Amino acid sequence: MIADTGNVKFTTRDVHVFYGAKEAIKGVDLDINNNEVTALIGPSGCGKSTYLRCLNRMNDTVDSARVTGTIELDGVDIYDRSVDVVQLRARVGMVFQKPNPFPKSIYENVAYGPRIHGLATKKSELDEVVETSLRKAGLWNEVNDRLDTQGTALSGGQQQRLCIARAIAVSPEVILMDEPCSALDPIATARVEELIDELRENYAIVIVTHSMQQAARVSQKTAFFHLGDLVEYGDTEDIFTNPREERTRDYITGRFG
Amino acid sequence: MTDTGKTPYFLSERAQKLVRKRYAAERRFRFYGLAMIILALAFLAVLFYTIISQGISGFVVTNIRLPVTFTAEALGVEPGATAEDLKGVSGFKYTKLARRSLNDYLGIPKGDTEDERLSRGLLSNGVDVQLRKILVNDPTLLGSTVEVWLLAHGSVDPFVKGQISRDLPENRRLINDQQMAWLEKLEHDGRVDLRFNSNLFTEGASADPELAGVGVALLGSFFMMVLVVLLALPLGVGAALYLEEFAPKNRFTDLVEVNINNLAAVPSIVFGILGLAVFINYAHLPRSAPIVGGLVLTLMTLPTVIIATRAAIRAVPPSIKEAALGVGASKMQAVFHHVLPLAMPGILTGLIIGLAQAMGETAPLIMVGMVAAVFDFPGSPMDPATALPVQIYIWSGLPERGFVALTSAAIMILLAFLLTMNATAVILRKRFERRW
Repeated sequence: MIADTGNVKFTTRDVHVFYGAKEAIKGVDLDINNNEVTALIGPSGCGKSTYLRCLNRMNDTVDSARVTGTIELDGVDIYDRSVDVVQLRARVGMVFQKPNPFPKSIYENVAYGPRIHGLATKKSELDEVVETSLRKAGLWNEVNDRLDTQGTALSGGQQQRLCIARAIAVSPEVILMDEPCSALDPIATARVEELIDELRENYAIVIVTHSMQQAARVSQKTAFFHLGDLVEYGDTEDIFTNPREERTRDYITGRFG
Repeated sequence: MTDTGKTPYFLSERAQKLVRKRYAAERRFRFYGLAMIILALAFLAVLFYTIISQGISGFVVTNIRLPVTFTAEALGVEPGATAEDLKGVSGFKYTKLARRSLNDYLGIPKGDTEDERLSRGLLSNGVDVQLRKILVNDPTLLGSTVEVWLLAHGSVDPFVKGQISRDLPENRRLINDQQMAWLEKLEHDGRVDLRFNSNLFTEGASADPELAGVGVALLGSFFMMVLVVLLALPLGVGAALYLEEFAPKNRFTDLVEVNINNLAAVPSIVFGILGLAVFINYAHLPRSAPIVGGLVLTLMTLPTVIIATRAAIRAVPPSIKEAALGVGASKMQAVFHHVLPLAMPGILTGLIIGLAQAMGETAPLIMVGMVAAVFDFPGSPMDPATALPVQIYIWSGLPERGFVALTSAAIMILLAFLLTMNATAVILRKRFERRW
């Protein structure tokens, strides 16, 4: 079930996640490739979001959560003691389900990450980072004349692209997206999907989605999760046209989930 | 409707009855609510009417206008004495000046000892301070005669204000018929008037109501409030942040949490005993001093601040903290850069409500000795002082008629402060409230 393509960013082996006594992920082996979009699909509660949150150790913030197995980023175990979780999260950015800009100006939203990481010290450098990030997120033309308005005053789709700009402002290597379009209308969704496709050039992207059409549209690799197991992983085309597993077939044809 | 004979259930008598019952229940509940609000407002109106009608007379005080001649001889100074010299003259000589001018006006000759003794009873014991102040401010008045408003004695004041009937038999009045006759003569000549009682704000304790004020108490309360803000805000917010965001969730922190919540309900006098035992008996801090009072009130305010802060922190959506963590902020950065600023309106509201509580607290201050009669203004929080509510408590127990009005006047001042503080809390909350 391990992809044999080169250019691997994340290598995860035998990953288990427990919430107290409940086992949410039951031994997942999965590789995430660079410059590709990997979609994680599956019915609610299958563990795909939990798995995603292992990749930047966001599960650390949940007291009862316990992660076992190895998760390597460029060959280094991210759960090793020597790895600083704050730096890891700068390298592995995250975009959340509900757009969550800081209740500050658009400029401050994007500048916050570079500032705390010391990526830009001078005002001019910071201005540049903000502009490039907003351009990459396809938001610059819409907001360049009102950078000091509140990020929360933007529309839902714009807010989500602002969150993407905020994530790429710290120059991450991987971007994790947890159902980034579930709170957006179809037009805003299309914009974000377009953006994801553009971003693929420079980043490894992992996206959790409930929409199988979305997975089919934006991803190159798809992983199907069910009840904490990784059922099937492969090229998106294969998964959707010729799934090997019965459960995958049932799910993508809408028989359950 | 078809004529099959069966009415649909929701049009049946049974269903209609339920509907009517539902409406009646709602109407009844609305009525109860409205009635309770009206009742509460009525009580509030009665309270305000009582306090204001009694207290308003405390803001004015009876004065008698007299022509006072500042003779250098009577004061025992050289003509052309400087302000410094005049400051050094004993108060008794100024008092004698005032008495002389009153006696001259009433036509009481020098040496008429009985009448002289009686006429003294019309003037306040504080007239020496008044006269000295006038003369020190303008030494050139020495040798001339000036019309001066002098404070009347506290036993005269209630008759001028009409609070005690003049028809009372002589043996039940504090001023006798002779003194009453003089007062009426002065009134007839337009020399008696109710003037603004500035002593109420500038003076400390006094046995004479016309000389007593809340000045020392206000300063004492001010020192304590500053101390409470300086200590309770950082300690309370820090404790709340630690408990809410950093402390491990286990039995021990649960226990701490339960105890903090219970601490908010501990009777305030217990904090007073604690302060007496720890700050005065053990740490040997001065008694009756605002520093001890402030520390005790801080202990009392802390639970309020901690509980309010924790509620405010919990009200910040977790998505904001996640967003900060997601771009690689440390936990401390996420909390201090994002959560705390968003929680600030709630924290400030809690703090101000805690302060208002502390400002109105009496019992613990009595335990640490702030109930003493303090005449001089405290120069620092280490000097003896009283507090506003304690001053009210002291005055409420004094028998003179004048203190009844002062008690209500001081309550009005206290209420004004509390209303201002609560209004500030509302404004801060409205102003910094953010939506997301």
